[in-house]
Amino acid sequence: MSDFLASLTQVQQWISSLAARYTVFFPTPHGEANYRFTAIGADDDVRFAPYRPTITPPVKLLVPAREELFRFQHKEDGDLLLSPSVDSSFRVIAGVRPCDLKGIFLMDLFFERGVADPYYLARRENTAIIGYACTTPCTDRVFCAAVDSLDHRQGADLFLTPLASGEILVEANTERGIGLLDSTDLPPCEDGPARKIGAIAARPETYGRSFDADVQSLSGIVEQYWDSPLWDKHTERCFSCGTCNLVCPTCYCFDVRDNLALDTVSGSRTRTWDGCMLPGFAQVAGGHNFRPQPAGRQRHRVKRKFEYLPTKYGHGPVCVGCGRCGRQCTVDIDIYDIVHDLIEGGKS
Amino acid sequence: MKPKIAFFDFASCEGCQLAVLNCEDILLDILELVDLVEFREAISEKALRYDVAFVEGSIHRDEDIARLRDIRARSTYLVALGACACNGNVQARSNFVAPAVNYAEVYGEAARNRVQVDPEHWPLWAHTRVRPLDAVVKVDAQLRGCPMVPSEFLHLVKSLLKGTQPDFPAVAVCTECKKNENECVFDRGQTCMGQITWAGCNSVCVNNGYVCDGCRGILPDANLAAHLQLLREHKVAEADIRSRYRLFCGAEPIGRGV
Repeated sequence: MSDFLASLTQVQQWISSLAARYTVFFPTPHGEANYRFTAIGADDDVRFAPYRPTITPPVKLLVPAREELFRFQHKEDGDLLLSPSVDSSFRVIAGVRPCDLKGIFLMDLFFERGVADPYYLARRENTAIIGYACTTPCTDRVFCAAVDSLDHRQGADLFLTPLASGEILVEANTERGIGLLDSTDLPPCEDGPARKIGAIAARPETYGRSFDADVQSLSGIVEQYWDSPLWDKHTERCFSCGTCNLVCPTCYCFDVRDNLALDTVSGSRTRTWDGCMLPGFAQVAGGHNFRPQPAGRQRHRVKRKFEYLPTKYGHGPVCVGCGRCGRQCTVDIDIYDIVHDLIEGGKS
Repeated sequence: MKPKIAFFDFASCEGCQLAVLNCEDILLDILELVDLVEFREAISEKALRYDVAFVEGSIHRDEDIARLRDIRARSTYLVALGACACNGNVQARSNFVAPAVNYAEVYGEAARNRVQVDPEHWPLWAHTRVRPLDAVVKVDAQLRGCPMVPSEFLHLVKSLLKGTQPDFPAVAVCTECKKNENECVFDRGQTCMGQITWAGCNSVCVNNGYVCDGCRGILPDANLAAHLQLLREHKVAEADIRSRYRLFCGAEPIGRGV
């Protein structure tokens, strides 16, 4: 829509000033070596660097780990009272990297198509996203370029690109994005597209880890594997803790439960994150478990990311290459290594 | 008729029963729906049969076994209340040391020598093995943790009142810990039992800056070999690994196996 130029200080002050008006989430240092998307105050420091992927991705703000869907009450006359708990409060998520932006873009598809999810959509419609381009790989685990998410821009109301000059190119992609800039007085930038190309050209030629296969060929490669010792190899040390699912920007599975009040006729229905690596994920009524072994669950997970969902939605791998799952697995099971092995195995 | 509820304790600190009493905001409402017939912490009433028996503590002596079997025989539904009842807890560490040595450690050598020749005192120290309840009787539900978790207690009570199956998912503490977006204990340069420990505590220890010590017991399909290897890779000494596994789970296979 329109491009502006700003200094880094101007951008940081502007995001802080937004926090005085709205709920603004930003990647904030946490603990000794981590970041979390946290609601910031107007006096908080806003810094884009240093950065590494947050423990859980920003999509947690659109599908919280635990959320109430509705409250219910069975009346004595047989009536059932239902009151939905839809959260449509406005929020800004700033400092969203391209991998996470692609994650949200994919989540939008998952929650819009088929039976649309009113809870997700209410939050999404009331969420403004300020993206931020990466210039160097944030950790040695990333493979965002190899799965085509490094240049993802769609879904951001505003997108910030750091330029070699030290300035920030501010792209406003929506009316809402322009609205967020109303308190600033940034000069327009006439040659935005050229500067963006320059910023991309200034990146390292090999960006993060890469696959020895074209991104379009990945689903075909993964499709060739069903019975394979590779699934066992990459689950030998698996604890089935589901960390890889829970920290994934594109994992959307959830479990629904009723929480009864003591009167046992009223209560609330909630949903919580679930994950296909958890032992009971594919267990059904009667106790049968369709995927009782970790290897079968790993196969399912990898095929969802690289074969099933890419085929269903047509937007390439449903893995954004952020490296969260591999880095946070305490026994170092890395989806990059699995796909790498599948590619290698297919060659022989 | 209101269900008859009773509380009993064996070797324990009775902290789990205190945790029940600490559910203050809902306790009176619960008491309207049940008939509390035995609870040493709170009342002196007795009854012959119980619909639900909550049993705290681990089993040590022969007379404990007889008493637990009697409670079982008189109860429709028996709940193991807390880590002592579910997995033996810290006292199970005594399983690895001869009883006479333990006795001397606590009461001194003179006391030990006296009980060894005095049959009256024999049962006091001759217990040989600390066991969780399910090593002796059938247990219908386990409220894990040291102490037990009030929200799980309430979930169980509500399920029993409603007649539905209570649900305590067999997932690891890591699963809840990630939902809480904690920094991983391993990122802090420490090690953790979270990967193999039953969740349900909402990772309370890690939320508060500590590590998981495994008080809730080991998951049924836990990858123990991987966990052992992981601790070794993080340079935890063999004696410390053993101590770690025996801290809460000395009566469980993991504690006995290292």
